Amino acid sequence: MAGQIPLQLGAKKTKSQSVTEPPWVRRVLISAALLFLALFLVLPLTAIFIKAFEQGIDVYTASITHPDALSAIKLTLLVVVLTVPLNALFGVAAAWAITKFDFRGKSILVTLIDLPFAISPIIAGLVFVLLFGSTGLFGDFLFEHNIQIIFAVPGIVLATLFVTFPFVARELIPLMQAQGSAEEEASLTLGANGWKTFMRVTLPNIKWGLLYGIILCNARAIGEFGAVSVVSGHIRGLTNTMPLHIEILYNEYQFSAAFAVASLMSILAIVTLILKNIIEWKAAQREQQEDVV
Amino acid sequence: MSIQINDVSKSFGSFKVLEDISIDIPTGELVALLGPSGSGKTSLLRIISGLEEADQGAILFNGEDMTHIQTTERKVGFVFQHYALFKHMTVFENVAYGLRVRPRKERLSKVKIKEKVEELLGLVKLESLAGRYPSQLSGGQRQRVALARALAVEPKVLLLDEPFGALDAKVRKDLRRWLRRLHDEFHITSIFVTHDQEEALDVADRIVVMNDGKIQQIGTPEEVYDHPNSPFVYDFLGNVNLFHGRLENGKLVNGHAEIEASTAKESEGREAIAYVRPHDVVIERERVSKEAVPAEIVHIHVVGRTVHVELKRKDVDEFLEAELPKEQYRKLALEHGQSVFIRPGQLKVFIPEDFSI
Amino acid sequence: MKKLKLKKHSILPGFGLSLGFTTFYISLLILLPLSMIFINTASMSWQDFWTTVTEPRVMASYRLSFGASFAAASINVVFGVLIAWVLVRYSFPGKRLIDGLVDLPFALPTAVAGIALTTLYAETGWVGQFLPFRVAFTPLGITIALTFIGLPFVVRMVQPVLQSFEKETEEVSAILGATRLQTFRKVILPEIFPAALTGFALAFARALGEYGSVVFIAGNMPMRTEITPLLILTKLEQYDYAGATAIAAVMLVISFVLLLLINGLQWWTNKRIAH
Repeated sequence: MAGQIPLQLGAKKTKSQSVTEPPWVRRVLISAALLFLALFLVLPLTAIFIKAFEQGIDVYTASITHPDALSAIKLTLLVVVLTVPLNALFGVAAAWAITKFDFRGKSILVTLIDLPFAISPIIAGLVFVLLFGSTGLFGDFLFEHNIQIIFAVPGIVLATLFVTFPFVARELIPLMQAQGSAEEEASLTLGANGWKTFMRVTLPNIKWGLLYGIILCNARAIGEFGAVSVVSGHIRGLTNTMPLHIEILYNEYQFSAAFAVASLMSILAIVTLILKNIIEWKAAQREQQEDVV
Repeated sequence: MSIQINDVSKSFGSFKVLEDISIDIPTGELVALLGPSGSGKTSLLRIISGLEEADQGAILFNGEDMTHIQTTERKVGFVFQHYALFKHMTVFENVAYGLRVRPRKERLSKVKIKEKVEELLGLVKLESLAGRYPSQLSGGQRQRVALARALAVEPKVLLLDEPFGALDAKVRKDLRRWLRRLHDEFHITSIFVTHDQEEALDVADRIVVMNDGKIQQIGTPEEVYDHPNSPFVYDFLGNVNLFHGRLENGKLVNGHAEIEASTAKESEGREAIAYVRPHDVVIERERVSKEAVPAEIVHIHVVGRTVHVELKRKDVDEFLEAELPKEQYRKLALEHGQSVFIRPGQLKVFIPEDFSI
Repeated sequence: MKKLKLKKHSILPGFGLSLGFTTFYISLLILLPLSMIFINTASMSWQDFWTTVTEPRVMASYRLSFGASFAAASINVVFGVLIAWVLVRYSFPGKRLIDGLVDLPFALPTAVAGIALTTLYAETGWVGQFLPFRVAFTPLGITIALTFIGLPFVVRMVQPVLQSFEKETEEVSAILGATRLQTFRKVILPEIFPAALTGFALAFARALGEYGSVVFIAGNMPMRTEITPLLILTKLEQYDYAGATAIAAVMLVISFVLLLLINGLQWWTNKRIAH
């Protein structure tokens, strides 16, 4: 073992082998991980774009500018505009109540916030059918007043609200817990009122966490399929969101068109990932700065 | 087991962490590697343990070349500053770990392992805590577990990296005495890294003073404290007063003082600095020799049996610190604002290579 | 919930407003709708309920959903730990990019993932054509889709634990004579175990309820490749509201149990990191 190896080993080799793995093991492990990721992540992502352009750019543009596609895009945007701000507002309120005060039943509340993550999106859709469907709890009432929720936009919005509900709160609760209340208390003792304290002290402190939550919430709101599928009724040009439109195209064997719309959604997903990483980087930077101070 | 460190060098990129380090440590010696942070002492310890490899040079245990032997095979004990206990294991399991991971053929029986661990826990006085987890122990107790764990494999060499650095003053002192006693009992060749000169002087048989990846001096605590071979060692081991001056006729002329300096003739006329420890500054009411300079007492504070006196020289605008026993302080009847004469008792003159000091 | 009482005095304002809004919102959006499942189920006789939720087609769907979810979550534990390990411990070109890409299954709409995977693993697909056995429209295909959507959970649970792991404990282990494999098994694995288990539970819970990525690749043949969420939807489309609700109630109870389990596991993991 103590062979007469030349003493000059080079500066690169700093750690001895007993606390890391031999180079061949490292190479094998890295290759296995990369192969798995290539097969499961990179390949599907690439396939979407290749399939989208398989029949040429004209088919692609025609697919994404088709009136049904455009109305699906519009509906998806509408759903996002309605659901994300509401859930962001809820997230901030819930995080404020949970992290700044001590009260009975707090842990139950925290568990309830997590609930939609554990529930199948199909059930999330089903519960609204049971409430507002024609045979549902409010079915007769809605019918009499000629209000349509299921198989209409309100149902889609409600189902999306349900599934995207925890994202912002889940990001803010641990963040605000870690930050404590000392700054808010200082602000109040200096004479600022509650609203000013929130706007000038709390909000700047949580802005990255809030944005992070909003981005995740947004991504899920755009892409939600199962829950929306139950309540939408798949009426073309009326209650089809982008994922539902993709499903219809795919089932009608219009693969290129399906992948064309899918490629748009993939671009959104990639943008989401990039934004997410930028925010993580910013938040890490901020933490480092605080450590220095 | 004796340890020989032969011409060990290591660098990260262009930064030299260690430069031509050679130390011979006979069996059973307790050696302190003393130096400021970044002096390379921890790197040297890690190279001895095999956790890191040197770029150059060799490590020998009992004359046997260990340079390319894996950490796992070196049979050293290592104690980290932050204990590095296994959090998910009890105290007992932590201590037993080294015995349990041996290859089946060399492994002791379960009963033997239990006996041995209990014996070690007795040695570190933690028998009653065998079932606890590290998170339930105090810092001092954790470090004792770490020591017992290191000793379990019967290492021939014990390496300790700032073993008391994370502990508070009182515990640190107790544990240091305890380590000394332990060493006297078992005679394991031990090397410990510290930046605390008091700790090194208190515990070690020999001190290796390091700075900038180089050895400054090796010697017994008395040698390095009383006869430092460089301004750095003088400065690092205890407080020191500086007398800047010029060498004239074998004397260091500094303000009104002419201090006897035994330096070579060639140094005539050069700038030099005399280093004097506070307890070597003699305070007198009258000027009895040419070396004495007038000074005024600025501040006096008594710490136990020792009295620290701060003085301002009258000839040059410099402050000095003197240290004397309480009896002598009483005899001299010193008081604040008083004019006295001071002279260096024992001193060492260094001629700076450059005048950066 | 009515007796919410401020336990500790606080000078911060907005307690009533924030808690009031939170409870109102949760009650209206989560509790009221979910209670419908139990209200509707309660109106069934026990006999009817039991027959509905245990009929062969439903039982087959449970077996498939649980089996495929378990298999997918297990694959994710193995590769999740591997990916987290490689990302934390080794350096290689493109590491940052890959680290960011791990979250793709969270960002990519499930329907998009579904059609992409189906296209790849169909008999004529890029991957499918090279495989000697069928993947799409079999339980194997379902497992692949569920592996995809559960991929980030284990990685993101294990990664921070590995990052905060003290290198020194590994060094001590080596010095005490342990081989690298022994160090991994006895020192590293116990530390990442709670996190990996939490990741497994999260991936499993997500897979049980997953619909979008599975429907395309499953083939949806009753008794063979029909997952439970799809069965609920099928019953709903056949206006069998009672049947759909009864099966949903079973799924919901399982979800509650999993959620409690996950919360417990997370608490365990955090305790480990905090030390």
